[in-house]
Amino acid sequence: MLFNSIAFLLFFPIVCLLYFCIPASRLRMRNLFLLAASYYFYMNWKPVYALLLLTSTVVTYLAAIGIDHFEDKSKKKACLIASLVLNLAILFLFKYYNFFAENIEMVLQSSGLGIQLPEFKLLLPVGISFYTFQALGYSIDVYYGTTKVERDFPTYALFVSFFPQLVAGPIERSNNLLPQFKKEHRLDYESVMAGVRIMVWGYFMKLVLADRCSLYVDSIFNHVSMHNGGSYLLASLMFPFQLYGDFAGYSFIAIGAARVLGFQLMENFRRPYFFSVSVQDYWKRNHISLTSWFMDYVYYPMVGSSTKLWWWCTAIFITFFISGFWHGAAWTFVMSFSIFGFYLVICTLKERPQRKFEKKYGLKKKEWWLWLNRILTFLLVVVALVFFRANSLQDAVTVISGIFTHPGAPMPEYANFIAIGMALAILMVKEFAEEYQWKFSVAESPSWLVRHVYLILMICYIILFGVLGGDQFIYFQF
Amino acid sequence: MKKLAISILFVLVGVFVVDRIGGMAMWWVNQHTHDVSGPKIKHLVFDADEDVIMMGTSRCNSHYVPSIISDSIGMSVYNGGVDASNNIFAHYIVLNHLLDRHNPKVICLEVQANDFARQHGTFNSISFFAPYFGLNEHADSVFRMAGNYWKYKASHLYRYNSKAVSNIAGLAINRHAGGDNGYIPNPQPAHHPQVLRHSKTYVNIDTTKICYIKRFVNLCRQHHVKLVFMISPWFEKVDNDHYNVLKLLAKQYDIPFLDYHTQGLFLDHPDYFRDITHLWDKGARAYSSIFASDLKHILEQLPKE
Repeated sequence: MLFNSIAFLLFFPIVCLLYFCIPASRLRMRNLFLLAASYYFYMNWKPVYALLLLTSTVVTYLAAIGIDHFEDKSKKKACLIASLVLNLAILFLFKYYNFFAENIEMVLQSSGLGIQLPEFKLLLPVGISFYTFQALGYSIDVYYGTTKVERDFPTYALFVSFFPQLVAGPIERSNNLLPQFKKEHRLDYESVMAGVRIMVWGYFMKLVLADRCSLYVDSIFNHVSMHNGGSYLLASLMFPFQLYGDFAGYSFIAIGAARVLGFQLMENFRRPYFFSVSVQDYWKRNHISLTSWFMDYVYYPMVGSSTKLWWWCTAIFITFFISGFWHGAAWTFVMSFSIFGFYLVICTLKERPQRKFEKKYGLKKKEWWLWLNRILTFLLVVVALVFFRANSLQDAVTVISGIFTHPGAPMPEYANFIAIGMALAILMVKEFAEEYQWKFSVAESPSWLVRHVYLILMICYIILFGVLGGDQFIYFQF
Repeated sequence: MKKLAISILFVLVGVFVVDRIGGMAMWWVNQHTHDVSGPKIKHLVFDADEDVIMMGTSRCNSHYVPSIISDSIGMSVYNGGVDASNNIFAHYIVLNHLLDRHNPKVICLEVQANDFARQHGTFNSISFFAPYFGLNEHADSVFRMAGNYWKYKASHLYRYNSKAVSNIAGLAINRHAGGDNGYIPNPQPAHHPQVLRHSKTYVNIDTTKICYIKRFVNLCRQHHVKLVFMISPWFEKVDNDHYNVLKLLAKQYDIPFLDYHTQGLFLDHPDYFRDITHLWDKGARAYSSIFASDLKHILEQLPKE
């Protein structure tokens, strides 16, 4: 069930109504109800894939109990490994097998061995990477003792399948979300209204910003050979905002929906495109739940207690290389995240000299210096994201080189440009207000009337200027 | 709980009120915009009084020069081609609105494969006509089939969703200026198409579309409007059976059919094309002369009523 579908707009209020009809003291009943609603939500795509979700849940649940039960460290480790292997095997089979089989075949063919590996025609289960990582994170946390084992199966199953963040995150941590299923959530006026406002903002980002950008970006990137450098440049500059609107839009709807029900999900985006002063900073602000997952479960274990700079750099690069694969079984994603990995290695290496340089010339707090860094960071991100969006590596190279070698006026779509410009202006006002902590805030105004008028106008703005065709969210494919 | 109920009620009522006021404002914008499609649809619905109406999509919009055709056949001509109204459902909506008020002598419908072949997003383009929702029951039936009926009923603002920005921009920028009775010339492109591709014949036929072509034809007959089908040039090759579905229908209903695509008109003139699908002004003028002459011949042969 898509967030931007009529079905969800009916489903969500009904779920809220029934949820709050169950007395807050009947915690178990409420959790069972949310669990059923979450599976219903997920089964709307393809019912049979709920079995995968259930398998992942059962495996990690049992593994965690095993880890907790055994005293012997090697047995604990065996339980963790079993959980990792089984979950990653499912992920590999459904998401990566065909990709690897294709590439192995190609390598074998080029060396004269025409072996054909079996092909599985499986539809990629929606959100498999998200819930698998969330469940694996729990197993690892239990192993390291940073979270308590959850023995109540329905509560744990709800943690893995909680419908607001099930298919595209934020990838929640067990020590944040699990305890919330054990608290009584009373119907709280402020929470509900704040949640609704966050959801409406999410819909704005998805339907007005992302989907408007996608009309232009898709027409260029899906027909690369038919366009010139001007169109390449404009589409490349627009894509980060499409991606941001799409993914942050989903996260805001998820966070808002959870808030309405009384749950606090983690922040997933903190204004990454206008205010990041370095690529490092960008990844601290962008897709925070995934970045922190990779940092905590891949990068830090890899670095360990090493103080060697070369090993830190290698670990960063490997982490981002894996992150590329997490995003999808395609070389474009791997290349995109390898570029990010490369940027971060450079960032790490230049960190000390830059700090010295900034101190010497007193640049740290100079606004123009910050903006110079922000613009440079944005352009670096744009280059990496061209690979992320392009349909092939060759297309990405054509787009980047075409910007310089095939100059020309961009394909005009004036009406769409105006709509995107208006949406970007609204986004900028909101993000500048948050970043610079301006005193006025329409959405969070102390005035009841202002807050409500804001909601009404935003809803009407979305109805008038949104792309309401029910497009998929980009991150669903991951 | 009471506080929440008041808030929800306030927001719902507020959305309803703003939606209705916004709908009225957008109707005004729609009636005063100088954007490309808005004024044309308005003309077809409220103002058309020409003898000959050309109907179709952007290819019609930019291929038929009314002054050239009018000079040749001695009748007033209006080019009612609407950009992106890319199949028979959109044309059927326009026809119903048009015939509500005015019976032209001839309607020339620029047909294409989208009028009979299955396509992705069949009803995508009918939203352009949503501002006129509620004015004609038969036109509204297409919205019902597309699943938009209740959405348009519920929200007046939503009726303007697809064209809101261009309509508002059209208040300041006159993209309709320089037009010739609905004809909006395509500018000369930087590059003309080079590669001549071969397009396959469509085999997936949409029976609902066929049904609506028949409805279109019958409606014209009921109103004693002569109907002509034509296909203007494309820069691509097709097999002789490419339009057989439409040709059989035309034969069945005795409708003249001018097919310049299959016969490969202007394939030796890539300089007439803006892209594979569209002629630019120079090509449109050359083509309009040929078409006008053929149309004149057809009209002379038709029995006088």
